[in-house]
Amino acid sequence: MLSRLLCTGIFCLSFAHPALALSSISIEAATVETADTQLRNLRAEVKLPAADYLQLHLAGEIKSAADSSQAPAPDHVKSEAGHSWQAASLDCAALVQKNLAAGQQEWQCAKGLLNLQGAKLPFSLSLQQQNPGYQLALQLQGASFSDAAGSHAAENLHLQATLNLKPDVAAPAKAAPAKSAQAQARPGWQWQLGLDWQQGELYWQPWYIASGGHTLQASGHYAGDTLSVTQAALNLDKVGQASASGLWQGGKIQTLHVDAPDLALAPLYSLLLQPMLADSALNKLELAGQAGLSLHIEHGEPVSALLSLKQVDMEDQQGRFALYKLNAHIPWEYDAARQVQLNYAGGHLLKIPLGETSVLAELNRYSLTTPQLYLPILDGALSLTDVSATQAGGQWHWHLRANLVPISMPALSHALGWPRMEGKVAAAIPMVTYSAGNLTTNGDLLFQMFNGNILVKGLRMQTPLGSAARLQANLEMQRLDLGDLTRTFSFGAIEGKLDGAVNHLELSNWQPVAFDADFHSSPGKYRKKISQRAVENISALGGAGAVAAIQRSVLRFFDEFNYADLGWRCQLRNDICSMSGVEYSGPGYVIVKGSGVPAITVMGYNHKVGWSDLITRLKRVTEGNSSPVIK
Amino acid sequence: MKAGMNMTYLSSIKPSHINTRKFFVNLVLLSSLVLATALLMTQAQAAADLEINTPAISGIKNSMQTRHAQLSGFYASGAVGFTRDGLVAVRDANAVPLAQRQGVNALVSAENNDRNALYREIATANSHPEWEAEVRSTFAQRWIQKAQSGWYYQDGSGWVKK
Repeated sequence: MLSRLLCTGIFCLSFAHPALALSSISIEAATVETADTQLRNLRAEVKLPAADYLQLHLAGEIKSAADSSQAPAPDHVKSEAGHSWQAASLDCAALVQKNLAAGQQEWQCAKGLLNLQGAKLPFSLSLQQQNPGYQLALQLQGASFSDAAGSHAAENLHLQATLNLKPDVAAPAKAAPAKSAQAQARPGWQWQLGLDWQQGELYWQPWYIASGGHTLQASGHYAGDTLSVTQAALNLDKVGQASASGLWQGGKIQTLHVDAPDLALAPLYSLLLQPMLADSALNKLELAGQAGLSLHIEHGEPVSALLSLKQVDMEDQQGRFALYKLNAHIPWEYDAARQVQLNYAGGHLLKIPLGETSVLAELNRYSLTTPQLYLPILDGALSLTDVSATQAGGQWHWHLRANLVPISMPALSHALGWPRMEGKVAAAIPMVTYSAGNLTTNGDLLFQMFNGNILVKGLRMQTPLGSAARLQANLEMQRLDLGDLTRTFSFGAIEGKLDGAVNHLELSNWQPVAFDADFHSSPGKYRKKISQRAVENISALGGAGAVAAIQRSVLRFFDEFNYADLGWRCQLRNDICSMSGVEYSGPGYVIVKGSGVPAITVMGYNHKVGWSDLITRLKRVTEGNSSPVIK
Repeated sequence: MKAGMNMTYLSSIKPSHINTRKFFVNLVLLSSLVLATALLMTQAQAAADLEINTPAISGIKNSMQTRHAQLSGFYASGAVGFTRDGLVAVRDANAVPLAQRQGVNALVSAENNDRNALYREIATANSHPEWEAEVRSTFAQRWIQKAQSGWYYQDGSGWVKK
């Protein structure tokens, strides 16, 4: 729109030129129509305050017929602003025409102002007619604009632009070879562009550029529907430099070569990448290090690319993951398989520390494969074999075989901020698949701890790094040592063995929302003792009056009691835990069934308890009992 | 627990249609009306409990509450409004300084993630994931009812100032 109005202005001036003897001229036109723009009530006024310059004022109303720029705006905005007549004006406070040597002319417009709906563009302009060609210099001085929705806007923009245009020389010998055969048929222009964004802020959804200091130098050829860029050099302040060349034909990029070997990742991320990653797990990163990128597009299709990362530190601001001293060399070719290299010195994923790792993989068009990935974790490792990942339909799908080389529980429980636990964890999962945010395992994770086994079966996760992570699994416990268990969680001491199952466990946002839990004494012969404090704690968990220890009077005389059986079941649904025990007895249920001398029986009378209440009480009980762990 | 613990919100979900014409006819029809009302009652008992609480739901609600302090200024300036489908949307970015527009977009997107998760969690907690759309439309009405005057919401014709 800008260029069209300027052209109109120039046209009017040349029209008024023969009448220099007059002090002012005004021309009015009712309507002017072009292919995509309508103008009406046009008024052009030229004043001659002095002999050596003119004053120009051009005003009217403008309506865009093909209102494509308004299309994304909501309906109501469109009807208000999209297809109605908008007032527009163009002013030039000092318009000077100079005759240079040999039929060359120069037009200068100082203190120009273009006013359009939502745009106020103060400028100065000079247009030099050369022999042959033109030279245009435009300076925007504090320009501002905004579309109706406010998704594209700028304020206080200071921009210097120069454009040199030279028509093609008629002799074909001078024209560019081979590829611009088409260009030879039509008259074309050699162009050279310089842009210097000096200051001002720009919001171009989703990007925001807070200040200037960016430059672009480019040159090439233009003819008909073909724009070729022989070379372009872009300099982004604080980020780095990129060079490019390419061919744009019929509204499509045909050829593009971009090369940016050394970019500062932190400013690049906040300036360009972060808005593009808004809905991914990478949307809140602290970054440091350098990145390099090159990309080749031929015949409108990407054919090769190279991404390299140098000494990159990457940390999720929400603490979900981090990688330190990450180096990567990721080449890609459409027609050939390439070797990907990646290594990092350390990091963590969901608080689990990751050790120094080096990865080699093969990238073949849209799939990534590697026979083995070995990721050290604490004193063990996650060994992934037969890894295969594919991108299809914008989503990643992968499958692999996973083995967890035993990790010791004291280190892992410390890393996760849990109470210190003895034992180790290992796993053999024949198949892990991930497809469109869903992680499924086919195999068992085995935690060897508390002198027994905890098996995690059928583990599934949805969007583990997303805001609403979900997890489903079934847990099975075999012969856990109650002594170890109660010591670890600072619960009153109980001696014995525990079997159990937590079926249909469902976590949402890492909080349990449903499960069917059943814990009971393991079968077999072993020492079964329960301490006075454990009995009191179990009573406290049930809430006042909910749990009663039969033979309460006996409590005072003994520190520990014999039991035959203990058990607790909880079915969690909608934050309510429906409880029962070893067996029902009258209005209640038996949690600890006494046997021998001195024996104790603990009864529960509360059949339903709020899960959050229970957790609060459990915390109070375990914290109240906290004492050094005696090995 | 059975769904339908809380009866107070039932009317907003399953509005009962009482046909006044039926009052004019004889006893037989009157008794059928009683039967119909009874049927509506049983249907209503199967409706969603919107006040249901799980750790996931209270987590989402906390996160929304924290964000509300940041969003309320944008509701008041008309930059952000309530949509018909129980979400929020940038209505007029021009009401926000350029430097804050990215931030508003991020807030709106995070808020909508939470809102979508909330509707899904409430439906799931009621053991009826297929009720999500119903939960959403009930909440959409609630947000508008709760909105302060001067805030914007969407109706069939576009944005409306409350």
